[in-house]
Amino acid sequence: MYWDLILWIIALVSNIALLAILLYQIICLSDLEADYMNPYDSSSKINSLVVPEFILQGVFCALFLVTGHRFMFLVTLPLLVYHARLFSRGAHLLDVTEIFRALSHEKKYRVIKLGVYLCFIFLVIVRCPADTVSILSIFSSEHGELDIRSPFLEF
Amino acid sequence: MATGNPGRPAASPFAAASPPAASPFVASAPVVTTPDGPSVRPPPVSGSTITTPFSSAGPMVGTSAPPPFRPGPPAGFVRPSTPAPPGPPPSQVPPASNQFQHFSTPQFSMPHQPPLSRPPPVGFPNMAQPPAQPIMGPPIQLPGVPGPSPPVTFRPPTQTPLAQMAPPPQPYAQGPPAQTPSYHALQPGYVQPPPHQGMTGMHAREHMQQPFSAPPTGSMQDLVEDFNSLSLGAVPGSMDNALDPKALPRPLEGDVEPKAFSEMYPLNCNPKYLRLTTSAIPNSQSLASRWHLPLGAVVCPLAEASKEEEVPIVNFGSAGIIRCRRCRTYVNPYVTFTDGGRKWRCNLCALLNEVSGDYFAQLDATGRRIDADQRPELNKGSVEFVAPTEYMVRPPMPPLYFFLIDVSVSAVRSGMLESTLTQPQMMVVSDVDDVFVPLPDDLLVNLSESRHVVESFLDSLPTMFHDTMNVESAFGPALKAAFMVMRQLGGKLLIFQNSLPSIGVGRLRLRGDDVRVYGTDKEHSLRVAEDPFYKQMAADFSKYQIGVNVYAFSDKYTDLASLGTLSKYTGGQVYFYPSFKSGVQQDKLRHELGRDLTRETAWEAVMRIRCGKGVRFSTYHGNFMLRSTDLLALPAVDCDKAFAMQLCLDETLLTSQTVYFQVALLYTASCGERRIRVHTAAAPVVSDLGEMYRQADTGALVSVLSRLAIEKTLSSKLDDTRTYLLKIIVKALKEYRNLHAVQHRLAGRMIYPESLKYLPLYVLALCKSTPLRGGFADVQLDERCAVGSILMTLPVKSLLKFLYPSLIRVDEFLLKASSLDLQDVEKSIPRLPLTSQSLDPRGLYIFDDGLRFVIWIGSMLPPEVARSLNVDYSSDLSQVLTSMNSCLLLSKKYAHPLFFSHYAY
Repeated sequence: MYWDLILWIIALVSNIALLAILLYQIICLSDLEADYMNPYDSSSKINSLVVPEFILQGVFCALFLVTGHRFMFLVTLPLLVYHARLFSRGAHLLDVTEIFRALSHEKKYRVIKLGVYLCFIFLVIVRCPADTVSILSIFSSEHGELDIRSPFLEF
Repeated sequence: MATGNPGRPAASPFAAASPPAASPFVASAPVVTTPDGPSVRPPPVSGSTITTPFSSAGPMVGTSAPPPFRPGPPAGFVRPSTPAPPGPPPSQVPPASNQFQHFSTPQFSMPHQPPLSRPPPVGFPNMAQPPAQPIMGPPIQLPGVPGPSPPVTFRPPTQTPLAQMAPPPQPYAQGPPAQTPSYHALQPGYVQPPPHQGMTGMHAREHMQQPFSAPPTGSMQDLVEDFNSLSLGAVPGSMDNALDPKALPRPLEGDVEPKAFSEMYPLNCNPKYLRLTTSAIPNSQSLASRWHLPLGAVVCPLAEASKEEEVPIVNFGSAGIIRCRRCRTYVNPYVTFTDGGRKWRCNLCALLNEVSGDYFAQLDATGRRIDADQRPELNKGSVEFVAPTEYMVRPPMPPLYFFLIDVSVSAVRSGMLESTLTQPQMMVVSDVDDVFVPLPDDLLVNLSESRHVVESFLDSLPTMFHDTMNVESAFGPALKAAFMVMRQLGGKLLIFQNSLPSIGVGRLRLRGDDVRVYGTDKEHSLRVAEDPFYKQMAADFSKYQIGVNVYAFSDKYTDLASLGTLSKYTGGQVYFYPSFKSGVQQDKLRHELGRDLTRETAWEAVMRIRCGKGVRFSTYHGNFMLRSTDLLALPAVDCDKAFAMQLCLDETLLTSQTVYFQVALLYTASCGERRIRVHTAAAPVVSDLGEMYRQADTGALVSVLSRLAIEKTLSSKLDDTRTYLLKIIVKALKEYRNLHAVQHRLAGRMIYPESLKYLPLYVLALCKSTPLRGGFADVQLDERCAVGSILMTLPVKSLLKFLYPSLIRVDEFLLKASSLDLQDVEKSIPRLPLTSQSLDPRGLYIFDDGLRFVIWIGSMLPPEVARSLNVDYSSDLSQVLTSMNSCLLLSKKYAHPLFFSHYAY
């Protein structure tokens, strides 16, 4: 019965990792823009993190599928599909030669994705406890205890 | 134009009388002296009302008038609109002086024009002048002009109405009724030159519909004064609806650098180093957005200079290079010294900097340093500083050339790597079809030991691979090997490739033959690198200061789109010899390779262009790699490379009156010295769109547009690219038309500013040029990519020559070649317009676009000409050409791009 709790923790951790990766990429891009970093370093650093990020996001998505959380799965699926398309077209990596031309676009893309991940983390925090708590609350109602959160979270 | 307009009928009275239309500013002088000039036009007729129709004339022009570049009192400009007495010219030449004198109220131009020795109403002569080429050129040929009398020559009509129009002080207010009958009577004769071809097809058609329905009612003098126009309607009453191609403006004198720019700021660098698309910077974003053409610059930092105008070298020694503390601008002629010479004010960011003790000099009464004349950095727009060690990350590198040769019978085996680490100006060679063309180096006298090795190697190369049967090319691995050898030093890598890379990393597919891709959204993918390997390699090459030049020879698809990437990001160049045959193209290869190796090359260079507050360079176009947002990395750059960039306004309204630009190229010269070449230029800020159009520079515009177009082909269809170009032109001309349509009825006529009269022609030529032309079947994909890559690097002059090649008739000169001096021949041969009428079957023509020759032999070539070629027709054509070449003795100048296509019938 604690699977959901474990799932919740895993999801939260991976989501935070995604956020961290993305933040790092954005910082690299900003450094590049401000001329603190040369394009070679910047692009190689970012590119080395792109595929791990995609994989992690795939795992994140699959996790919900496996555990049967359809709503969360459907929410995270579009991004996975988008990543898969980028990957299949070979457009997922930064092009070091044209990096300055693509800079503003890449940054915008990453900031938007950052927003998406923040939404995810919000959902994870709200949904997963809701599930967990609802289960717990069933337990607790059997045991006659009352969880304060249950009334509105179940709602 | 000195050569005249050969294609124009001599009958035209203006052929002789009209000043060269392409250089209006010089040309205006003779016309000015016409006696009518002064008396005809009262000063208050303010030309400025035309250009700024919605604002009051005087003050508007005052503010728009580019101010002197030192913060001098702008009083002269705000002066009320009364004819100012010719006062003493101020120390600075006002920007746009010529322009104002032409187009605006004379009173503004008067007091500010030092060379001015003209009476106030200088505006007048212009009316006769600009349209001379497009409109009045062939007026006599008018078949059925319903004018008063056909033989009326053109000059009278244009001037008489003026004389009649002029006396009233406000011709505008009077409107049509004020026009004298004679004016009307003469009108048709004037406004209706023979039917003209519209430059932009769509407009032409549209206007054809309304042939001269409404007679122009605006005052003619202002109309002619301000712009050129091209009538698009057919002549009424004439059955002949044909267009007269002779009336179209043709750039037969090649590229003409805008003189106004350098005249108004004599301290500017020579325009061959830096050209702005318009020498009048808009003062607001809204104004910039109404200028639909690209706003930017073309920079050719190492343009070849003649002996007299060589860039002076300055060595500050221990004092260090004088630069602004904040914006890092180099000291230049436009900085001002204050505080008795102890401080100087940066002209870009207006920061006060201390003058170091070593550099101190007293100021004279006018605030000028007493030693300004001795210091080139204070009196020359272009200067070269010797860079101290702070400007080096490592000792200056020796020039290094590395040859990567694909040894192939017909695209044979294993892009086999041969490395020849040599000293500068070593000439080596490619082999194609196993034909080897060693170029002995006659420039270096010392034959070093390595030289023998190299030469013997080269000699043995053909025999080494004589029997090879391999058809594979391991280009990628070879490239990597070359990279590993060169990464210590950097240098220039010359790749001779004859086949499609097919083995190992970076192998490419045959993908150019697919007809179906054309016209679809995937079409552009054929023109970009297929394998990211090439982009990565290019980035690595650039990082380690290696420039790549690609020489491609194959007749089959070699995917130059991918190979060209290597040179695109390393400041290199692509040379393409389709179906190379050593017999025919050997000379071209020899010349181009020789030039590649011997021209002055700047090694491990970086370039940055700075500009004043409020403006910023947003995008860069050319062959380079950006190392930071505004730093161009150029591992090897030379005089044949130019870079274009686009400007954008950061602030909604520019407060400064002048914008300064400074190009700085930090490089290692071939002699091993680290140097900084600095070009500085100033441009006025204007608030008037008409002024921007007047100051436009067609050459620079075409250069920027061509680069934009070629970049667009990398992301969209060819069709879209051509539409994009045409739209730009149409929008720009429409905007210009709107400026003037308020006052003038311009139905059926296309109007354009004098400065842009060739722009439609060049853009059409661009649309028809190799990289943009047609579809799948019209040009080989490789050729498209190669020429596209070449266009990305060409300096303005060469680009214009490529777009509008010169056609000269040589048979007459061939006969007297022996008696004529070579110089005379070159000067006296006129360029012909590129029309089929120019080709006479009895003639022999050379068509030269800067990259190759096409020799056109007429079908009825007189026997004596043929005899002078010393060959009979039955023999091989190439012999004809060779002998003719020697006969012409033009080889000194022309021998370079020798590639013959023969047209004989």
